[in-house]
Amino acid sequence: MMKLLDISKKYGEITHKYPFEPYKVADNFRGKPAYIYDLCIGCAACGIACPSNAITVVFNDDKSKLVWEFDCGRCIFCGRCDEVCPTGAIKLSEEFELAVKFDKSALIQRGELDVQCCTECKKPFSAKRLVKYSFECLSKANVSEKRLEEAKNYLCICPTCKKTATVATFTSGKEMVIE
Amino acid sequence: MKCDKFIEALGTRVKILEVTRQYEDQVTALVELNDLPEAVRFLYYDMGGYLSTMIPNDERSINKHYALYYALSMEGGKMFAGDEIAQDEKCFVTVKVLISPDSLVFPSVTPLVPACVWYEREAYDMFGLVAEGLPDKRRLVLSDDWPDNLFPLRKDAMDYRYRPDMKDHYMEPEYEFLRPEGSGIIDVPLGPLHITADEPGHFRLYCDGDTIVDADYRLFYQHRGMEKLAENRMNYDQMGYLAERVCGICGYAHAIACIEAAEKAINLEIPARAQAIRVICSEIERLHSHLLNIGLACEVTGNYNAFMHIFRIREYSMKLAELVTGGRKTYGNVVMGGLRRDMTGHEIKESLRILHIIETQVEEVWDAVMDDQRQMKRWKGVGILDKQVARDFSPVGPNIRGSGIKRDTRYDHPYDFFKQIQFDVAVVEGGDVFAREMVRYMELKSSVSIIRQCFELMPQTAIIVDPKFHVKPENYALAYVEAPRGENVHWIMQGSAQKVFRWRCRAATYNNWPSLRFQFRGNTIADAALIVCSLDPCYSCTERITVVDIKSKKSKILTNKDLKDFSKTLKNSPMKDLR
Repeated sequence: MMKLLDISKKYGEITHKYPFEPYKVADNFRGKPAYIYDLCIGCAACGIACPSNAITVVFNDDKSKLVWEFDCGRCIFCGRCDEVCPTGAIKLSEEFELAVKFDKSALIQRGELDVQCCTECKKPFSAKRLVKYSFECLSKANVSEKRLEEAKNYLCICPTCKKTATVATFTSGKEMVIE
Repeated sequence: MKCDKFIEALGTRVKILEVTRQYEDQVTALVELNDLPEAVRFLYYDMGGYLSTMIPNDERSINKHYALYYALSMEGGKMFAGDEIAQDEKCFVTVKVLISPDSLVFPSVTPLVPACVWYEREAYDMFGLVAEGLPDKRRLVLSDDWPDNLFPLRKDAMDYRYRPDMKDHYMEPEYEFLRPEGSGIIDVPLGPLHITADEPGHFRLYCDGDTIVDADYRLFYQHRGMEKLAENRMNYDQMGYLAERVCGICGYAHAIACIEAAEKAINLEIPARAQAIRVICSEIERLHSHLLNIGLACEVTGNYNAFMHIFRIREYSMKLAELVTGGRKTYGNVVMGGLRRDMTGHEIKESLRILHIIETQVEEVWDAVMDDQRQMKRWKGVGILDKQVARDFSPVGPNIRGSGIKRDTRYDHPYDFFKQIQFDVAVVEGGDVFAREMVRYMELKSSVSIIRQCFELMPQTAIIVDPKFHVKPENYALAYVEAPRGENVHWIMQGSAQKVFRWRCRAATYNNWPSLRFQFRGNTIADAALIVCSLDPCYSCTERITVVDIKSKKSKILTNKDLKDFSKTLKNSPMKDLR
């Protein structure tokens, strides 16, 4: 019994004055995912990777915006989104104080991106930034000017229209030219 | 090959219809339904096996039958020195039977092997398979207000999103407790919510004066239906994260058990560095869990001073987890094929420093606790688990090692990096609370040494391999991990399209509960909470509460529905009538 009290004397006060004194986390701590809107291209890689469906990337009701939405209440802080993001728009931060008022909407973070409409069918199919990003990747890949111009038009066509065009090319009997 | 010896011996007793091999140390023998009790009894008592898990499975889409798999860990009876089979012969033998969907009846093994009792009760709850001759036919897993003829794990029973209408609170059938005969015996209820227990579980103690004559308990207050959730819905990427959420403390052990079961089913070998880091993380978890339990065992007996000291040291183990995995719990690290996060030189150096602190300070506090005669009087001779009872009920972890039986999955079936690591299995004779806490203290020391050895022996390889999926529906395998509370066994049968057909997750405490009744007998009511605590139980959350307002002298039971309605709408608080 006295031995235990002696140990207390030896170590003194070890309590952190937590809310008044910040808690120092380790390097590489996995806290709340921080979203950088300017870097997001709306590719939805994070939404696919997220095991708990905390991140969703969907069009809004009138399809005028592509909405990136993150529900902190469902997040399990695994960091899959951080791993798969091609532009580094999500990084796990050091923030761990997640308490909010009794209001679910305070847990939700949202980003709206402009949509790209298909040049053929005029329906939105992707984010403008994603198309721009793909084009920039191609232009850095040492592609000729002419091909680049073709690609620019091609990138603005939605997958459905691309399929229709491919089928049309095959059925028309024209010879396909492959460079 | 391993296991052949046991299959041959089993063949002399009963007729074996088919033998299949899942992994180098896992074999399944299909026997006839009537031979089942004899086959399990023979392997359990005559060949020295322990029941690891039993898996009921709905295989009507595969072979038009239900199936039962009794997985036995063959390691020798271990009742006395020398009663142990050779290290290279230890393996898992599974006895499989097929049950016709017309009869749904199978002969119960429980009268011969008591360890099967909970598994066979659960087989009825989940699949409607009736164990003929089972002495205890009460409901185990499902709540009392669950409809009678709905068996949730049958493939055609229900969608995982379906919630059946609960019976009204006053209509709910009363759970029958097994009450001993005799005059002057009074019932003392402990729980479902009790100040000395962290989680809900209802214990009914039958007392004569101050002495507990017998006890019975009702658990599974909130069964979360994870097995149903995972089936045919989640891919292996999500499964690991779901398995982590089985338990708040041994989550990492569940994650690696679950992922390794899937890896073994496709015969995938992960890199040595990943194996070493998996071992390091699970040992960090053991440090954390054992410190928690030793602390609580002091707290329950009123020794708050020691409790505070041990929890102060526990903080270092959480620092260690934060350093290694990035979270204060070792979560979110395991994926199919290896790991997601490597350890760097700086982290290793810092970890070694923290390990040194833990090692020296634990020793200091433990010495002081040992010196305290009052503490020892509360621990010694309390809650004795008899060696023979331990043999009959197959408990795991410190619970059985405290009764002098040398059962440790890390030693019996070395997995991952344990083949290269030297450590002593902590075994203490006695079977009382003190023996179990002593085992935990000895394991704290061996964990520190295991982590140090892993740092030394860790090779510089990749930490992940690309899993080449050879997914064959009907492939299945068993994975076993020694979690802080004991052996966790997961069984996975693969389905099509990288989904799971059946996932059976057996947590350590599941094997420990049935023998708790025998530990209560002959002790005083004051020790009941301590006995439950020394088991290091792991139970889950509550479903309803009673609120008593002292000022207005009103009380109200908040039902499951009240709380659900409130959490959905955030309007009409169930407490408003009391204000």
